[in-house]
Amino acid sequence: MDPKLAEVSQLFERFKAACAREDVDTCCNVLSKLKVLLTGFSSLPPLFEDTPNAIHELTLARDIYEHAVLLSVKIGDQDAFERDFFQLKPYYTDASSSRLPPSSQEYMILGLNLLRLLVQNRIAEFHTELELLSSTALENPCIKHAVELEQSFMEGAYNRVLSAKQTVPCKTYDYFMDLLAKTVRDEIAGCSEKAYGYLSVSDARQMLLFSSDNELLQYIKELLLPVLYESL
Amino acid sequence: MAATMVSSAGALLAMLNESHPQLKQHALYNLNKFVDQFWPEISTSVPLIESLYEDEEFDRHQRQLAALVVSKVFCYLGDLNDSLSYALGAGSLFDVSEDSDYVHSLLAKAIDEYASLKAKATESNAEAANVDPRLEAIVERMLDKCIMDGKHQQAMGIAIECRRLDKLEEAITRSDNVHGTLSYCINVSHAFVSRREYRCEVLHLLVNVYQKLPYPDYLSICQCLMFLDEPEGVASILEKLLRSENKDDVLLAFQIAFDLVENEHQAFLLNVRDRLSVPKSQSSEMVQPKSSDPDPAQNNSSTASEDVQMTEGTSASIAIVQETDPNDAIYAERLTKIKGILSGETSIQLTLQFLYSHNKSDLLILKTIKQSVEMRNSVCHSATIYANAIMHAGTTVDTFLRDNLDWLSRATNWAKFSATAGLGVIHRGHLQQGRSLMRPYLPQGGSGGGGSPYSEGGALYALGLIHANHGKGIKQFLRDSLRSTNVEVIQHGACLGLGLAALGTADEDIYDDIKSALYTDSAVAGEAAGISMGLLMVGSASEKASEMLTYAHETQHEKIIRGLALGIALTVYGREEEADTLIEQMTRDQDPILRYGGMYALALAYRGTANNKAIRQLLHFAVSDVSDDVRRTAVLALGFVLYSEPEQTPRIVSLLSESYNPHVRYGAALAVGISCAGTGLSEAISLLEPLTSDVVDFVRQGALIAMAMVMVQMNEAGDSRVGTFRRQLEKIILDKHEDTMSKMGAILASGILDAGGRNVTIRLLSKTKHDKVTAVVGLAVFSQFWYWYPLIYFISLSFSPTAFIGLNYDLKVPKFEFLSNAKPSLFEYPKPTTVPTTTSAVKLPTAVLSTSAKAKARAKKEAEQKANAEKAAGAESSSAATNTGKEKSSSEKDADSVQVDSQPEKKAGPEPSFEILTNPARVVPAQEKFIKFMEDSRYAPVKFVPSGFVLLRDLQPTEPEVLSLTDAPSSTVSPAGGSATGQQGSASAMAVDEEPQPPQPFEYTS
Repeated sequence: MDPKLAEVSQLFERFKAACAREDVDTCCNVLSKLKVLLTGFSSLPPLFEDTPNAIHELTLARDIYEHAVLLSVKIGDQDAFERDFFQLKPYYTDASSSRLPPSSQEYMILGLNLLRLLVQNRIAEFHTELELLSSTALENPCIKHAVELEQSFMEGAYNRVLSAKQTVPCKTYDYFMDLLAKTVRDEIAGCSEKAYGYLSVSDARQMLLFSSDNELLQYIKELLLPVLYESL
Repeated sequence: MAATMVSSAGALLAMLNESHPQLKQHALYNLNKFVDQFWPEISTSVPLIESLYEDEEFDRHQRQLAALVVSKVFCYLGDLNDSLSYALGAGSLFDVSEDSDYVHSLLAKAIDEYASLKAKATESNAEAANVDPRLEAIVERMLDKCIMDGKHQQAMGIAIECRRLDKLEEAITRSDNVHGTLSYCINVSHAFVSRREYRCEVLHLLVNVYQKLPYPDYLSICQCLMFLDEPEGVASILEKLLRSENKDDVLLAFQIAFDLVENEHQAFLLNVRDRLSVPKSQSSEMVQPKSSDPDPAQNNSSTASEDVQMTEGTSASIAIVQETDPNDAIYAERLTKIKGILSGETSIQLTLQFLYSHNKSDLLILKTIKQSVEMRNSVCHSATIYANAIMHAGTTVDTFLRDNLDWLSRATNWAKFSATAGLGVIHRGHLQQGRSLMRPYLPQGGSGGGGSPYSEGGALYALGLIHANHGKGIKQFLRDSLRSTNVEVIQHGACLGLGLAALGTADEDIYDDIKSALYTDSAVAGEAAGISMGLLMVGSASEKASEMLTYAHETQHEKIIRGLALGIALTVYGREEEADTLIEQMTRDQDPILRYGGMYALALAYRGTANNKAIRQLLHFAVSDVSDDVRRTAVLALGFVLYSEPEQTPRIVSLLSESYNPHVRYGAALAVGISCAGTGLSEAISLLEPLTSDVVDFVRQGALIAMAMVMVQMNEAGDSRVGTFRRQLEKIILDKHEDTMSKMGAILASGILDAGGRNVTIRLLSKTKHDKVTAVVGLAVFSQFWYWYPLIYFISLSFSPTAFIGLNYDLKVPKFEFLSNAKPSLFEYPKPTTVPTTTSAVKLPTAVLSTSAKAKARAKKEAEQKANAEKAAGAESSSAATNTGKEKSSSEKDADSVQVDSQPEKKAGPEPSFEILTNPARVVPAQEKFIKFMEDSRYAPVKFVPSGFVLLRDLQPTEPEVLSLTDAPSSTVSPAGGSATGQQGSASAMAVDEEPQPPQPFEYTS
């Protein structure tokens, strides 16, 4: 085996081990090294040169980036998620057509990305991504989940959005589901500010889906919603 | 296997955000590769990449890479300025040799930018401090690359544009075909370098390069030197060639001299001639008559009242020199020849012989005109005289005048002036005998001579026309005549004559004489004086112009102001930017006549340059000035500015030719006529055609004249519209109800159409694309005929014979054949007109009233009487001519049916596709490209040119030569009419060998 490839695989094993140990710092360091090493392979996008080890390298690189995406979810770094996802994307869109067997993680990660867009309230991009997916992909539970969430979100059926947390297809989704709850809450708060002249604390708590008044007050302090604050 | 392609640059853009610098570099590197494909995606991230470029911590290479990517994106976005500034930041990464749209468009931009910066720097005289060194580096890299790749023309173009003479020189010297490159460069510098000053620099450089070559192309060098006005250089080259052992070098020297003469730069030629050194051994007494005389007075005293006798004087000197030193003797002999050429005498003499022997003018046309023109209409009467003069310009054939002395005598006053002056046009170039020819009409000794002042003035003007631009021998006489008279008509003639003879010599003494004529403040003399001062000072840009301007402000006479305005305009001839101050001053003047002069100044200063600034200015005046005269002239002036690119003119003036203002339409017609003269350009004819039937009479006049100028020397085989036009002219002339103005136009047009015995064309550019000073000046003054008809004769200055004249070492014309690879019918002479016989016979019968029948019978009788009288007068003329009288009655009934070429041509077989011409031959401009020299011919040309004077190398020098062009004109000149006086015997006896004999003089019977 190519020494360079061997080195990468070795490093990747260390990375996976560190992941298992939940050693985030090591993970980040190793990942950065891995990425630099990957730039040395010409078979990877955007060059896609046809080298003897192309398939192997492509698979490895894809694995690395998939892990990178998952790592970014784990550490809750949305920018890193976006970066890594974009770097991963050519492996799905461009490489799969020729040689690379599809990855088992593909739909899960695509779903995650959709969820991220939903969380960041980037609905336009969400739909752009959706348009690019095939009909079979849309049938996949991971994708379906995100699509349904978006529909509920748009309809204003926020309770359904929040209850969907219980039905996540994969536990990595939890991070985004939590964030989504906050997004939904912000949306509700924004609407209620326009809709109500005043609102009682209990109504507000119920409406914003808080379990206790304390949490509600904390939230209000963060946002300093003028309407709600007056009513207190 | 199908290559897998990425579908988005998203991954790379994401990678740019990575913290590790190596990843950024990788991303940049790949972005640079894919930018051509993904620039829309990248464009949203340009700020990010820009920040990478500005990041000081990044290493240099990477920052340059970032700059390159940004530059490419900006280029695709169409923002070339930003793109260029980033490309400069990219330094060496910007690869000029890359073959991509990006590099091409940016290089073009960079060169433009650099050229405009350089131009600005030189114009403001500031040093090129503000030129970005990186920009300079790019351009230099480009130039070096072009030179390396052997794209020398490109490199030269860029170097000239960017004012990098160092690179230009490198490009030329490193090319494989230095001669070709140099001549290309000369063309380019004339066509595209608009600033005269800079063009001179370029030409200087070229001359330097030329001289460094092992086998310099002396022909081109001398042309350059002439443009630079450096007679010393030309003289030294000529001398070197003349002293050479090789006969071919001598032939080359002669050829150079002929080429220089073709540009008609009198002052320059005289300078060259004076600088040719005389053989050492020659005694001082030899030198005197031989070397050109700076002082005309001295020359005149030696040859007394006789005509210039250059040849005799010199042949005598050779005889003596031969005894001293053979080498010097040979040199002296050659020197004599070259001086003869440089003075223009050789070429004028040969031209004269050619025009005389090949004269094909059609007297029947004139006869028709004469008969159809009313006797009392003096405008048409003189127009006929003008037309005759133009038709026979330079041929020395004055048969028509001799045959119609009675008719001629109807010319009185100024008509008499111009009738006499017309002789000057007919005998143009008859240098040797000009004086004796005109003697009967010249002022005799004291002012009390019996002649009419009008014919005397006309004769002086005629002398000027005969000696135009070669007035060495006649200047003094004209000066004396000017000084000794105070009759304004004679002063008028003398001033014009003097101006013509001393054209462009800037002679101070003559200037003072003319100035004193001007200061008499007589309108008639002053006008001529103004023009004459301009002629004298052509292209000198001397401060005399301001003196003239001051006087133009002082005087009350419009005529004088107009003369001066034109004169001032002439002084700035060809000075381009140097003239701007004066032009500005004139075009802003209160007086419309001076503004009108300003238009001429613009026209002449920028003649043939197609300078955009001048065109813009003229167009501005053409539509905005309040005076019709100024507007007309502004449009007309466009013709002068554009004559080097005749194809442009119809396009530029086409809108103006549809103006509501008839003056503008007139100007447009003449502009096309001037710039497309002799080209027969189809667009020009299409533009002029509708104008020839304009509603306003003077527009028709202008259009007819312009059309004739365009169609000179074309026949129907070239363009069928020529035949139509000839018939149209005839119809206008014969139509009794036609306005006088357009009738005059038609008469003049028929004259111009057949100018110089159908052997000349109007040519403003020499073969080497230099402007012909005399021709341009001639046309400029000619266009003044709007105000003053006698100025029509100036058009003869612009005629140049369309001849191939091959000369041997002795400057004689040997018999020599060459090929014209085209159907003879394409370029043959138009067929002589005949009177229709059959066509009118089949006419349908028309109802005839008894009264009109009577009237007709009366008319018929009269016509027959007239015809009989004519028959008696012109018995010797061709049978076709005598037919005129007989057929007159029928042709009067149906003027329309009068046709040119009505005789069906009977051809035995298909026309041959080539024609063998014999030296000297008529070669019209359109024919030149078909001329071939035969391989097995005895003579080979020194330089391949299809027309003009060509020196021939004799390949069999031992065999005797057969010369042609020896027929003396006197043998065929018909005996003069009844009033001829026999006083000419002595004059004809002294005629020099082959020179045509002077025709007998005749007198007006008043």
